[in-house]
Amino acid sequence: MDAKSIIDSLVNKFQDSLTDAKVDSDIRISAYLEPEKIKDVCQYLKDELAFGHLSSETAIDYPKKDEIVVVYHIASYDHPVLLTIKVKLPRDAPEIESIVPVYWNANWYERETYELFGVKFNNHPDLRQLVLPEELLGDWPLRKDYEGFPNTTARNLV
Amino acid sequence: MDENVGPSEMIVHLGPQHPMQPGPFRLNLRLRGETVVDAEVELGFIHKGIEKILESKTYLQGIPIVDRICYLTAMTNEEAYVGAVEKLADIEVPERSQYIRVILEELSRLQSHLLGMGEFGEFIGFVSMFMYTIKEREDILSLMDMVTGARVTHTFLKYGGVRGDLPEGFREKSAVIFAGLKEQIAEYRRLFNGDEIYKQRCFGVGILEAKTARDLGVSGPALRATGVAFDIRKDEPYLVYKDLDFKVCTATDGDIAARIEVRLDEMLEAMYIIEQCLDQMPSGPLFYEDSLYGVRTPTMRVPEGDVFHRVEDPRGEMGFYVVSDGSDKPHRVKIRGPVYPTMQALPPLITGTTVADVAAIAGSMDGCTSEADR
Repeated sequence: MDAKSIIDSLVNKFQDSLTDAKVDSDIRISAYLEPEKIKDVCQYLKDELAFGHLSSETAIDYPKKDEIVVVYHIASYDHPVLLTIKVKLPRDAPEIESIVPVYWNANWYERETYELFGVKFNNHPDLRQLVLPEELLGDWPLRKDYEGFPNTTARNLV
Repeated sequence: MDENVGPSEMIVHLGPQHPMQPGPFRLNLRLRGETVVDAEVELGFIHKGIEKILESKTYLQGIPIVDRICYLTAMTNEEAYVGAVEKLADIEVPERSQYIRVILEELSRLQSHLLGMGEFGEFIGFVSMFMYTIKEREDILSLMDMVTGARVTHTFLKYGGVRGDLPEGFREKSAVIFAGLKEQIAEYRRLFNGDEIYKQRCFGVGILEAKTARDLGVSGPALRATGVAFDIRKDEPYLVYKDLDFKVCTATDGDIAARIEVRLDEMLEAMYIIEQCLDQMPSGPLFYEDSLYGVRTPTMRVPEGDVFHRVEDPRGEMGFYVVSDGSDKPHRVKIRGPVYPTMQALPPLITGTTVADVAAIAGSMDGCTSEADR
C-alpha cells in the first residue's frame, strides 16, 4: 500500500470531515480531522488500511489561536507509511472521544495528555493522572500559560 | 486496581524500589495463591518534565537534556532529537558525519543490550552473568569515550554533523574489543543454554504472541522475538542505514529465551554494521561549510512547521515530535519512547503467570523507567 492510495481511500470514505489531507513524502501523510469522527477513522485505518500501530498521541497548546490540537501518529507493522492526524479543539473545553477501544495502547497516552493539557477523553476506561502527583491535576503543566508550581493557572477547568 | 480482596486473595506491591528494571516504578499484583490475577503499573516517581524543559531551552541547549531521558540510550535519544530538528530546518549532514553517527548508535545498542542482559541474569539469580557483561560493556563504553569524551551522556551530535572525528587508533582498538566480544557472546549462549535453571525459568515462560504484541503496541527486540520483523532502520531508513547490509534479527517463540536470543543476535549484527562503516567511510568534512547552522550558531532559528522523526533505539521505536513556531526554541516537543508501550504491556503479559516469574518476565522486556517517566 502506498501513501497515495491510502489517502485516496481515506478521503473517499470521510470526505466531509477531512481537511487539508496531503502526501508529505513517499511514506508520510497528514490530515486535519473533525473531532467527532476520530474513532471511526481510527477503526477504518486499523481494519481496512493495516494501520495497526499507534505510535504516539499528544497535544499542542496554541494560546494565541485559542485552541488545543490533538495529534495522532499512526503507523503500521506491515507497510512503512506513517499518518499524522490533527484534531483542533477549543481551548476552554477540549473534549474528544477516546480511541482506546481501537488502539489499546492509547490508554496511557490519553491519560498523560489529560493530566498535562486537560484534554478530556470521553469514554476512556480509566482517565486519571499517570506521571504527576494528584495535587497537580488541574494545573495542566504543559499548557503555555502554566507559571509553575504552586501557581495554578487553569484550575477552573476541572 | 480495586483494593478489595477476596477471601483467598492478596495484594502485593512490588517496588517502587526493586531491581526489576532500572529506575523506580511500582507493580501492584493481585494474587490468588501464587497466581497473578490482576496487575497494575504505577509510574511517575522520577518524572523530570523533560518535554517542558526542552520548550524553554534553545535547540542547541536541548541536546544535553535529551541525553538524560535514559542514560542507557543517550546516543539514540540525541539522534532522534537532532534528526527531527535537522528535518525541520532542512539541514544536510555530510556522509562522514552520518557514518560516525551510525557507529555510535550501534555501539550504544551494544552497551545497552549488554547491561540489560546482565541485569536480567540477576533477576533469575544468575549473578555471574552480570559480572561478565558489565566487563564487556566497560570496553564498549571506553570506545565511545574515545570518540565523544564521555562514558554515558555524550552530547556529541550537532545540527549538521558531529562534534569530532574518530580518533587515531579507534579502528584497531575496536577490532580487538569486537574479537573479544564475539567470543564472549558465544560464551553467553553456552552459559545460558547449558544452565538448567535458565532453561526451566525462561523457555515457554512469559509468551507474547505476535498478534497480542502488535495490539499492545510493543516494538523493538520484544516484538521481534515474536517473529515480526519491524525495524525502523529498514522501514524508514535514517542516516546511511540504507547503504549498509544487515538483517533484522527475529525469533519465533516470543518467550523470555527468545527475547534474550534476539538481543544476542542483534549484538553480532551491530558489530557487523560498525565493521562495514569503518570500511566504507568516505573522507570529507564533518560539516558542510556553507551550512547556516551547526558549528557557528548557538541560537539558530528553525522555520515554522512540525516533524515526527523515528529511530531504532536498543529498546524499540524512539520518536521525537518537534513543533516549531519559527523562534529559537521549540514550541512543543513530544518524546515517544519505546518503553512506554513495553511497560504498559506488562500487566496483560504477567496476568496468569506465577509471582515467581514476574521478575523474570519484567526483566526480559528490558524497560527503562527513567525513559517512560521522562
